[in-house]
Amino acid sequence: MIKYHFGRGRAKWVPYLLLLPGIFIYLLIAMGPSLATSVYSFTNATGIKGAPIDWIGLDNYREFLFMGQASRDNYAALGRTLIFCFFVTTIQFTLGLIVALLVNQKLKGTNFFRTLFFMPVILGAVIQGLIWSLFLYPLGGPVARILEFFGTSSEFFGGQPTEAFAWVIAVQIWANLGTTMIIFISGLQTIPSEMYEAARIDGASGWQVFRNVTWPLLTPSVNTNLLLNIIGSLQAWQLFLVLLGYRNGTQVLGYLIYATGFGQTSGSVTSSFRQGYAAAASIVLFLLVLILGLAAQTILQRREERILG
Amino acid sequence: MRKTFLLSVVALMILSVLLSACGSASTDEESVQEPATADQVTLKVLVHQNPPMVEFMESFNNNFSEKYPNITIDMAVVNANDLSTVTQTRLTANDVDLVDIFGFANAAQPYMKNVDPPNWQTLIEAGYLLDISDQPFINNYDEATIQDAGSYNGKVYSINLGRVSYSGIYYNKDMFTENNVTVPTTWDELVAACETFSAAGIPCMTAGGKDGWPIFVGAYGLIGALYPDQDVLVEGLWTGTIKWNDAKSLEMWEKMKVYAQDMMEAGASGIAGDAAPGRFASGAVAMFPGGTWYASAIEASEPSFEWGYIPFPGSDNPDDNKYLFGKYDQGWAVADKSTNKEAALLYLTEFSEPANYQAFANAVGFIPTQPTATLDTQIGQEVAPYLVNFRVGFEQYWVAPKGAGQYANPFASYFKPFGTFDDPQELADKVQADLQSGLDANN
Repeated sequence: MIKYHFGRGRAKWVPYLLLLPGIFIYLLIAMGPSLATSVYSFTNATGIKGAPIDWIGLDNYREFLFMGQASRDNYAALGRTLIFCFFVTTIQFTLGLIVALLVNQKLKGTNFFRTLFFMPVILGAVIQGLIWSLFLYPLGGPVARILEFFGTSSEFFGGQPTEAFAWVIAVQIWANLGTTMIIFISGLQTIPSEMYEAARIDGASGWQVFRNVTWPLLTPSVNTNLLLNIIGSLQAWQLFLVLLGYRNGTQVLGYLIYATGFGQTSGSVTSSFRQGYAAAASIVLFLLVLILGLAAQTILQRREERILG
Repeated sequence: MRKTFLLSVVALMILSVLLSACGSASTDEESVQEPATADQVTLKVLVHQNPPMVEFMESFNNNFSEKYPNITIDMAVVNANDLSTVTQTRLTANDVDLVDIFGFANAAQPYMKNVDPPNWQTLIEAGYLLDISDQPFINNYDEATIQDAGSYNGKVYSINLGRVSYSGIYYNKDMFTENNVTVPTTWDELVAACETFSAAGIPCMTAGGKDGWPIFVGAYGLIGALYPDQDVLVEGLWTGTIKWNDAKSLEMWEKMKVYAQDMMEAGASGIAGDAAPGRFASGAVAMFPGGTWYASAIEASEPSFEWGYIPFPGSDNPDDNKYLFGKYDQGWAVADKSTNKEAALLYLTEFSEPANYQAFANAVGFIPTQPTATLDTQIGQEVAPYLVNFRVGFEQYWVAPKGAGQYANPFASYFKPFGTFDDPQELADKVQADLQSGLDANN
């Protein structure tokens, strides 16, 4: 039987009372906007306070999913979102693990490299975008000069949509690699050194140590990183705004939501704020994140139970 | 036990105090704007980023505050892309007195089915902009401007401060002379000029391709040469009498391909919009298609640089190339919920004084909307011969039908290297199909 440590009588309610402000703030800040978004998705809201809002039922969903070529463009954006998620997750996860293993060695300068790899995380998307726009400036920027030396060139963010898209993937990974690395480092530091000593005494090679000791015991960090990478990359939009703007063939769902919600789509100077429509698109993205997130979590949890018991 | 309980209660009380402190802070924010006092007023002004305009406004604000010491100006400057979002946020929060209305364009037309009203229309209908119909200063502006870019349902809500042309080309006078190239007046002459420059190792044109729009805006002259009445063009597209893939339009796409692939310099797709005027002024290229608003940036980059400005010669018939297409640019509107209306109207009265307006037009390079103002700047002199043929361009009329695809626009930037298309016919068919898809979805 679990012993209750918070006293008897009125005192046992204290922990719940202490939880109330947190729950209230969570409901207000996290759940409130989410619920409001789902309600707005059934309206023609513009986001302008005082402007009439009409209940239009499923019209926004119908338009997003089934209306003309625009809906097919939305599916293309959905596809790009998944491609972005796949590449960002796999590369960022792998690189993060490698970097964490390297900077977790007891060598000189590891703290410097940890700081170096983590630094981009503390920069905002605008600063990150500015750094890379300058770095990849095609007319005389540093990378352009290096490519020129090898007799080649690139338009970088201004290039063909697939090329521009690939560069955004690279910047996204650079910007978030530090978080993945830190989570892995924290996982590595929880592995008892005796496990490594025992493995080495048994004559295990470096790869065998990694495969049979490090990797299984890193499972909680692996799960956390995979989930964070999947969810974070599905929701990405800021770097697309800063680096590419509204450009055909490059939009992901997150950026499309921002662009339609705040009148940033091209084609008309009179673009209106379609926040009801953007809310419907947000719900679609939410469902995508939910499905993929839950599936990933289920698989990872089973794996964790299998490995760690 | 009692001690634990007491400690918990104390902790709860501290939390409550903290939370109520947060609560009172937000209440304060809601009532940011205190009622104006007769003694001291802080007038909150919102403008978009346009360096010469911001510089002028700062100087105007200083003069205004000197003349009216009880009025302090608090001017916020935001990026043009963010202006509508910030305008909306600050108007709804009652945190601004005067806003810069950018793109007060034509409302949706009766033949446009199932389109959302433009943002400015929603702001008026929601009661955020003050009716200024009876203000004497609106008489300082020409009637057509007040009608076309300031009125809604018979009332005036905005004074527009100037028109800009975007269908012209800046050219480097010295480079033209050195290479014996005459200023082109037809499409063939433009192509020949570019070939001459290319043969001499000089890139023909540049534009801020990284921002996307400078590429297609630079080619609006090509649309204008074929469709000089752009309101008729927009109606034709909506009603199906004009197609983006008919024989006439195909000629436009073929020329756009030449413009995007042969005339633009390599690497233009990576140049930011605000860097392009400086690149042109540095003598790196011979021409720069773009709007009149770039003139002051070119002058600021290289004050001694010799340049000229001509309408984009999109046709082989010089008569088709006499038009300048453009739009109404920035305008002022007063927040209806402002508690400083009197000061805001005084500010607009002062701004609209012919001498002040003239100084503004000189600084910014707008084509004036006050009939008494003159075009004293170089860009003013350059466009003066064409002003009789100034026309409002496509983008101020166009509203895309819901369901239309992302290619339903006449944009040269769809061609490689800026976009993915190489074949004009294929692109023309795609653009029309994307538009048709939206038109069909609304029928």
